[in-house]
Amino acid sequence: MGYELRNHTADVAVAATGDSLEAVFAAVADGLAAASCDEIAGSGDRFSLSVTAESREALLFDYLDELIYLRDIRSELPVDHRVESIEPPSASDRSDDGDGAAGDGFDEWQLEASARGVPLFDIDAREIKAVTYSEMCLERAGTDGDDGSWEAYVVFDV
Amino acid sequence: MTTFDADGITLERVREYVWEIPQDGDMRVPARVLASEELLEEIKEDKTLEQITNTTHLPGITNHAICMPDGHQGYGFPVGGVGALDAENGCISPGAVGYDINCGVRMMRTNLTYDDVRGHEEELVESLFANVPSGLGGGGIVEAGVDTVDEILARGVDWALENGYAVADDLRHCEDEGMREGAAPDKVSQKAKDRGKNQIGSLGSGNHFLEVQRVTDVFDADVGEAFGLEEDQIVVLIHCGSRGLGHQTCNDYLRKIEQQHQGLLDQLPDKELAAAPAGSQLAADYYGAMNAAINFAWVNRQLIMHRTRQVFERVFDRSWEEMEMDLLYDVAHNIAKKETHTVGADGEERELYVHRKGATRAFPAGHPEVPSAYREVGQPVIIPGSMGAGSYVLRGGENSMDLTFGSTAHGAGRLMSRTQAKDEFWGGDVKQDLADQQEIHVKAQSGATIAEEAPGVYKDVDEVVRVSDELGIGDKVARTFPVCNIKG
Repeated sequence: MGYELRNHTADVAVAATGDSLEAVFAAVADGLAAASCDEIAGSGDRFSLSVTAESREALLFDYLDELIYLRDIRSELPVDHRVESIEPPSASDRSDDGDGAAGDGFDEWQLEASARGVPLFDIDAREIKAVTYSEMCLERAGTDGDDGSWEAYVVFDV
Repeated sequence: MTTFDADGITLERVREYVWEIPQDGDMRVPARVLASEELLEEIKEDKTLEQITNTTHLPGITNHAICMPDGHQGYGFPVGGVGALDAENGCISPGAVGYDINCGVRMMRTNLTYDDVRGHEEELVESLFANVPSGLGGGGIVEAGVDTVDEILARGVDWALENGYAVADDLRHCEDEGMREGAAPDKVSQKAKDRGKNQIGSLGSGNHFLEVQRVTDVFDADVGEAFGLEEDQIVVLIHCGSRGLGHQTCNDYLRKIEQQHQGLLDQLPDKELAAAPAGSQLAADYYGAMNAAINFAWVNRQLIMHRTRQVFERVFDRSWEEMEMDLLYDVAHNIAKKETHTVGADGEERELYVHRKGATRAFPAGHPEVPSAYREVGQPVIIPGSMGAGSYVLRGGENSMDLTFGSTAHGAGRLMSRTQAKDEFWGGDVKQDLADQQEIHVKAQSGATIAEEAPGVYKDVDEVVRVSDELGIGDKVARTFPVCNIKG
C-alpha cells in the first residue's frame, strides 16, 4: 500500500494503492508531494480541506486540483496527507452507473481531508502544474474486487 | 509504397518527411507525422502516435491531425500536435491547448558582442537569478490586486505600456501586438486569478528558463538582417507561460465540459481531449478565458524582459536603450486561435480553431497577420533548445499554410522521462560539465531541475530544425548558443 512514481516522457505519473478509498486518495496525494520535492522538511502546521464532486473519479481530480491550488495560495507544499472520510451522495442517486449525476448539487460525493503545509521557502520544490485526466484510473483492487482495496493511476503535468 | 512500422502502427510515406496514419475505425481524418526516420524512431518509443491518432476523433477536425518533428507524448493531445477544428461545426478543446496557456518564447536583441559579456558571466547569472523570480513560491515582479489582474487579462502588454514596463516598440514586435482580442476576464475563475496575482513576472519551473545567448550562425543573411541578427551578437531568450492562472483555467474548463457535454466526451478515446462544441456557450466562455490567459502570459514575459533590461543596465553600466535591448519577437506555442484557412480541393475558406500544443505559428512572408515589421520576410519563429545545444530562429516557411495550417515545431522535444533523467544525471555534474566544457553558466533553484533538463534528455534540435527547413514550414535563419541560463 502506498505510491510509486512512474516514468512519463514529459510529465510524471503516480501509481497508488490503498486498503480503502480514503487510503488510495491520500497515497496519490503523497505521490504528488513526492513528485514536487525530494526531501520534505518536518516544518509546517496541519490544515483541513473539503471537496465535493459528482463522481468518485471527479472527486479524486478535484481533490488533487484543490491541493495544487492551495499550494499556490498558501505558499506551502501540502504533505503527510490524511483523508478522513469520503461519503457517497446522500440523496438518492438517479444515474445509471451509481456514480451520481453531474451538477444538480444534491447527489455529490464529499471528501474531508487534512495535510501539513510545509512553507515553500523551507524546501527545494518543483512546480507540478496540474492534475490531468489523461490515462486516469481509479478502480477496486484485489482478485474478487470486494476486499475494500483500491488502486489509482494519475498523470500530472510538470 | 514505403511504410514505417512503429510497433503495430503502420505509417505510410506520403513524401519525404511526411508520414500518414490512414483513416480507420472512428478516426475522422488521417493523422500525419512530419519527421525523418531518425526522429520517427524516437517518436515511436512512447504514446505520441497513439495520441495523435486519438486526436483525429475530435469533431470538425480538418484535413489531418499533425504531429511536428519534435512531437512527444503529452496528455490527451501530444506535445508537438496541431489540430484545426471547424469553428462552426467542430469544437474547441482545452486539453489540446494545454495547461500552460500561451507558454511561449520571446527573444530580445542587444548590440553587445560575446566579448563584451565575457568575464561578466558569473555576475550576470547571479544578478539575473536574484532579480527574476523563479521556482515555486518565488513571487512575481508585480504584486497585484484583483483589479490589476483583470486589467492585465483584458489588455495584455498595453497594460504594461501604461504602467512603465514596456515601450511602444515592444508591442509592435509581439504576436497580436501583445493583446489578444476577445479576452473575457470575467470568464476566468476567482481561483485562477488568486493563483495568478502573486505570480505576475515569474518563470516558474520545469523546462522554463531565461537564457543569455550568443548568435553562432546566421544562415540567411537577408532575413537575419531583417531580424537584426548577426554573428557573435548577444541575445536573451525567455521561455515561460501563464503560470497558475493558465493551469487553473484549463482545469476549470475541463471539468465544466465533463459536466455539460458528456455526450461529446463519451465519443472521445481519452477524457483529456474533452472539447466544447463550437457554438455552445461553454466554447465561447473558454475562448474568452483562454484569450485572457494569453494576455496574462504576454505580460508575464514582458515583465521578465523589463527586469532583464534593468539587470543588464547594472552589470554593464549603460542604459538598455544604449545597448539596443529591443524585442525581436514573442510567439506562443500553447494556444488555440480562430483563423481562416483554405481547405479542401475546391479551395474553400473556412474558420478553424487551430490548436497548437507545443507547436509554433509560422506564417510565411506576405501573410496579413505577420506584423508589419516582418511581413516581407515572414514571421519569426523561436525554437528553444536544451541547455547544452543552443536554440534557433526560423521564419515562417512558404509551405506552412498548405502542410501545417501555418505551424512548425516548438523545441527539441523530450526523449527521456524526468524520473529517468534524475537516475542518469546528477545536477551538480551537469552544471560543472556545462561550465567546464562549454562555458555555459547555469543557476537553478534546484539541482534536480538541472538533472531533469540535462542536454541528454532532449532530442537533437538540429535534426528537428533540419526537417522543418527541408519541408519549408519554418526556414533556418540563425542559431544561438547559451552563455548564461537561469531556471526554477
